[in-house]
Amino acid sequence: MDVGEAARLNALVVAVGRAQDRAAFQALFDHFAPRVKGYLMRLGAGNAVAEDLAQDAMLTLWRKASLFDPAKASASTWMFTIARNLRIDAIRRERRPELDPNEPALLPEAERGADESLDWAQAEDRLHAALAELPREQAEIIHLSFLAEKPHSLIATELGLPLGTVKSRIRLAMARLRQALGDES
Amino acid sequence: MSIAHHPGDELLLSYASGAANEAVALLVASHATFCAQCRARVQRAEATGGRVLTDMAPVPMSAQAYESLLARLDEPARAVVQAAHLQSDVPAPLQAYIGTDYGALPWRHVGGGISHLPIRTRGGMRARLIRAEPGSGVYTHTHKGEEWTLVLTGSYTDKTGHYAAGDVQSTTPEISHQPTADAGPVCINLAVTDAPLVFRGLLPKLVAKFHGF
Ligand SMILES: [Zn+2]
Repeated sequence: MDVGEAARLNALVVAVGRAQDRAAFQALFDHFAPRVKGYLMRLGAGNAVAEDLAQDAMLTLWRKASLFDPAKASASTWMFTIARNLRIDAIRRERRPELDPNEPALLPEAERGADESLDWAQAEDRLHAALAELPREQAEIIHLSFLAEKPHSLIATELGLPLGTVKSRIRLAMARLRQALGDES
Repeated sequence: MSIAHHPGDELLLSYASGAANEAVALLVASHATFCAQCRARVQRAEATGGRVLTDMAPVPMSAQAYESLLARLDEPARAVVQAAHLQSDVPAPLQAYIGTDYGALPWRHVGGGISHLPIRTRGGMRARLIRAEPGSGVYTHTHKGEEWTLVLTGSYTDKTGHYAAGDVQSTTPEISHQPTADAGPVCINLAVTDAPLVFRGLLPKLVAKFHGF
């Protein structure tokens, strides 16, 4: 996905949030619903459950679109967090202790700033490039964390690695991704 | 407020990806209310999730999926979750579990200025609050698994360092430590373990068994 596509999706969510634009919603449905369904099935949901939850995720998008802020996250990232949370709630039946990063009371004034001015469509494009360039053993562990939903101790066991090695690969990978986003060196 | 001890990247990543169980998620989200750096790091990791979703091979929705969704768009939404009390010193994510006042909790006294309170979470790990009067020490203990402790109020010291409000201490199975609450405000911690604590000595063992540590 290029910067233009990310910006298009952001604009569609904003249109839904501002004007309940149903044409924009249908375009978002066409893009996201099959991907959310794929994500849920990849994590073990059956076809029917994944379809239902993908519908719920789209309904959540419709209802919360006015809260979407493209300065904080891309539409894809926002949609990922919606799908992740629905899945934890509906399939794992756990609560999701959620931090609302938009809650101003939580943000000490001096520490705000740099983030807000980031253009997320571009930042995530750089992130994509950095992900593609990660050494294979680091990329593998990042992907397992998102798509296997195993604790890192279990990932370590399955890969036949000491837990410390898994942790250090994660640290290296996360440091590279943050560098790509330009906010920490 | 400056935080000296943060959760490791592996914890932030597992919180962002959704792989973390509820107890770990509670600890990370609560730490993040103290820590702008970790809030930003979680957002970065979530952006990775956005990439994962973008790259996901699409699985077609059924033919009627969009039509049946349209019929639901005008349904009233469920009631919104109650907003957090910002005046409270209990971190917002923790308020859903214990309310807004540490003083009003049914603390279970363990002895020696220490009380605790299990927090009900699902997903396999144990979360509980530990309350230590100034100068009191938790028994020397080791762990069968990993343990994470988030300081909520006050501070404590052990042989590895000093931990104040907002700090997270990560300990591994091989570490035996005896945290002692510093002088000053009562020290309240959120502790998450993936296995029961192993107390050293007979008396602590009996106490631990009795109190369900
Ligand atoms: Zn932190």
